Amino acid sequence: MHEFSLASEVIDLAQNEAIKNAVTSIQEINIEVGDLSGVDADAFETALELLVKNTILENAVISIIRTPGIGKCNECDIEFEMVQRLDSCPDCHCFPSQIVGGEEFRVLSLLAE
Amino acid sequence: MCDTCGCSNSEEVKIHNLQHKHEPQHDHVHPHEHTHEHGNAPFAHSHGHTSGKIINLNVDILSGNNQTAQLNRRFFEGRKVLCLNLVSSPGSGKTTILEKTIHSLIATHKIAVIEGDQQTLLDAERIEKSGAPAIQINTGTGCHLDAQMIDTAIQKIEIEPNSILFIENVGNLVCPAMFDLGETKRVVVISVTEGEDKPLKYPYMFQTSHLCLINKTDLLPYVDFKTEKAIEYAQSLNPKLEFILVSAKTGEGMNEWYNWLFQQQ
Repeated sequence: MHEFSLASEVIDLAQNEAIKNAVTSIQEINIEVGDLSGVDADAFETALELLVKNTILENAVISIIRTPGIGKCNECDIEFEMVQRLDSCPDCHCFPSQIVGGEEFRVLSLLAE
Repeated sequence: MCDTCGCSNSEEVKIHNLQHKHEPQHDHVHPHEHTHEHGNAPFAHSHGHTSGKIINLNVDILSGNNQTAQLNRRFFEGRKVLCLNLVSSPGSGKTTILEKTIHSLIATHKIAVIEGDQQTLLDAERIEKSGAPAIQINTGTGCHLDAQMIDTAIQKIEIEPNSILFIENVGNLVCPAMFDLGETKRVVVISVTEGEDKPLKYPYMFQTSHLCLINKTDLLPYVDFKTEKAIEYAQSLNPKLEFILVSAKTGEGMNEWYNWLFQQQ
């Protein structure tokens, strides 16, 4: 449960960007959380909602965009949806597969006034 | 504050230096303006449908931690310091392994320890009794160490060139996995009193570690732990992971662990 520290990082990042861009409030923040990023998206959203009070993000709409895990089989090269890191290839059942998507954890954009 | 595990912000973090006798000589500079490099269009473009402006960032949320970790890593590399981040569940025996290691090696090697716990100075006091300087980071309600805490700690403790710096992370197999501290290698410790399926339950930690110490092997006759299965599970996640079986209590396997340390230096 490191989601609170991560939510604090997001607030710091937004504050810095607001200063850099000379904006006084942020209406919306778009954050991408991959399903294999190691971050619990729901817990992270809750943490962020609680921590934004008295910050630049206090009135911002928090938009969390979740991206699915994508695995790529090392043997047959096919890509498949990976729900867990341990998922084997659905075709040849080879294991482990490479993770090619779903590890993202980033702030995509801010909508500022 | 988090209701699940009590995580909160860094204001509660306290760093205690048990070495009151002398001030450390610290000659490196840590620039702390964390500039965020934005790979994509860093600035705004206007959209017709809104009065505000969109600031495109595409910035990794852990980039601040990762940049500080890189500074720490450069500091260790510059001084030829072997920095090991020890991670495990609570009670796997990390502190006992460190006590035994220090006791065996302190006559011939320079060793320092950064201890991470939510509360108390108990572990740092144990380490100091074994003969190595130790600094305690109390994370308050936080569940992991981060690169900034290590940066602060290494400015308060003397890290000698060519030394070994052990960082004993907060006992937790989940959160510390995400936070690079700038360590040279990550060592995950499990004990035979835990389930052999632990690697499957906490894959991130085993995927990001270089060595797995399987501790408390003296208890193997009394528990159902299947060592081969634990190794098989962990290797399926991370084929490069190395394993050493040890008993910090009896000393079994400890020489192999020391040899591994010397190979990394």
